[in-house]
Amino acid sequence: MKTNNNKAGRIILEVVLVILSLLFLYPLFLTIINSLKSFSEVMTDVIALPKHLALSNYSYVWKFINYPRLFLNNFIITGLGLLGIVFISSIAAYKLARTKSRLSGIIYFLCIMPMLIPFQSIMLTVLQTAKNLNLSESTWGLGLLYWGFGAPLAVFIYHGFVKGIPTEIDESATIDGASSFRLFFSVIFPLLKSVTTTIVIIDVMWIWNDFLLPLLMVNGSPDTKTLTLAAYTFVGQYTSDWQYAMTAMVMAVLPSIIVFIFLQKYIVKGVVAGAVKG
Amino acid sequence: MLKTLGRRWREKLDFGLFTLPVLICIAVAFYIPFVMTIRYSMTKWNGISKHPKFVGLDNFQQIFTGDSNFSSSAWFTIKYAVLYIVIVNVLAILLAVLLDMKLKSTSWLRAAFFIPYILSLVIVGFIWKFIFMQGFNSLGESTGWSFFGLSWLGTPGLAFISILGVSIWQSIGFYLVIYIAGLQSVPDDLKEAATVDGAGAMRRFFSITLPLLAPSITISVFMALTNSIKVFDVILSLTGGGPGGTTYSIAYDIYRDTFQNNLYGYGTAKALILFVAVLVVTIIQLTVFKRREVEA
Repeated sequence: MKTNNNKAGRIILEVVLVILSLLFLYPLFLTIINSLKSFSEVMTDVIALPKHLALSNYSYVWKFINYPRLFLNNFIITGLGLLGIVFISSIAAYKLARTKSRLSGIIYFLCIMPMLIPFQSIMLTVLQTAKNLNLSESTWGLGLLYWGFGAPLAVFIYHGFVKGIPTEIDESATIDGASSFRLFFSVIFPLLKSVTTTIVIIDVMWIWNDFLLPLLMVNGSPDTKTLTLAAYTFVGQYTSDWQYAMTAMVMAVLPSIIVFIFLQKYIVKGVVAGAVKG
Repeated sequence: MLKTLGRRWREKLDFGLFTLPVLICIAVAFYIPFVMTIRYSMTKWNGISKHPKFVGLDNFQQIFTGDSNFSSSAWFTIKYAVLYIVIVNVLAILLAVLLDMKLKSTSWLRAAFFIPYILSLVIVGFIWKFIFMQGFNSLGESTGWSFFGLSWLGTPGLAFISILGVSIWQSIGFYLVIYIAGLQSVPDDLKEAATVDGAGAMRRFFSITLPLLAPSITISVFMALTNSIKVFDVILSLTGGGPGGTTYSIAYDIYRDTFQNNLYGYGTAKALILFVAVLVVTIIQLTVFKRREVEA
């Protein structure tokens, strides 16, 4: 009797949770269906399904914001940013974790301390520094800038992980005559695979969607914009053309959703690992 | 002798080669701008003239004595941060407990609640602006509920609730995932032992699960705290600070002073105050919460 009760309770609970999650995602559903409507249809009834699929919204926005170009920009910025963050942070964290000296302690502290500095506290002067270094108004420059912004968390996570790798591994490789770079890339780095995945996932979600830094850095020309930035300016120009606005939203968001669907398991794991270590 | 000397130099060189790149990048991204911020905060500068005028601590004095924008945005941020931290964590814990049970749809449910978190906050703000301005009309007409007829972005109190609600909607999946991971490390035998001792579900939750969840709570509160103090993107796209300037956060106020009003020196002074506030609050939070953690 008791187990029956339990079973019925579970089924009810499950149904309630599924309904709750559908309600939770309802705003996204509304976004998608309204991106497929004409202006007048959006204005008369938002919650109705589209009567005729207005796919022209998509081709209009695609051309207007030069979607392929923006997509490429996002790709370059994120890719360049990630490569740099992983490279400079992993080598530094490895050396810092293996060297027991006061200098090493100080450098480690200097590396992770910026995690406490809010971006808004330095945004003006970051922009100035970037201008002085000729990094502003350029896709590649923005990607490079992310190296420094992503490094503190990455160094922190790598450092914690390297401490768990036995030093005997280093010693035996050194006896075999490997140089320290060789040792790092052929022995240590492969051992860091799981933590690298975590860092890549956290940083992809962050850099791909970042808004304020691109707004300050690459907002000047339509050719250097990112997807989020373009969606932002687009809506600013077409405040009342909601059908185009919703189309731009869907197009800006779609790559993230597709990636999420395929890498769901790793993303969730990465977030957990990153948060627990961070 | 020479050989050991040579090896020591090699080690030093290695150390430099491995750590310099990261130091340079972090210096460019944080330390150089940070030092410049300290310098600018003591100047009056419109961004155009070549030489900022040094005014000492005048900016700070003005901010604390005669800036109603700063005090109202600070108040907004404090209210927002406290409510956000409490609500998002309580909801996430409740949801995590439910989703930690062995249901058939668990993995789909977890994914569903996580999806908004992968979207950019600016875009989330626009989507919800559309829902509040257009969607609620249609929903009101078809359900007849007066709830949908309210002006959710047009009246100060409701606009605050809207910003809070939308931020929670976007990020709850993140906290949910952390709490689920935390729950999975709570040993089952402890719960079973408590059941044998006659503890009910509520008692088990408050006396066993919750204390053992402390490390997850520390992390989640820390994340919620640092993120909510810096709230910016969602306000920019959802209300733009309106109605009547009632939804400006500190971060937004700094952005407005610096980039819209061209008060470069004054804006950086505010930015420096934000930094000190974040530093003090996070250090206090971490020490208090760490002390309360228990080992399983």
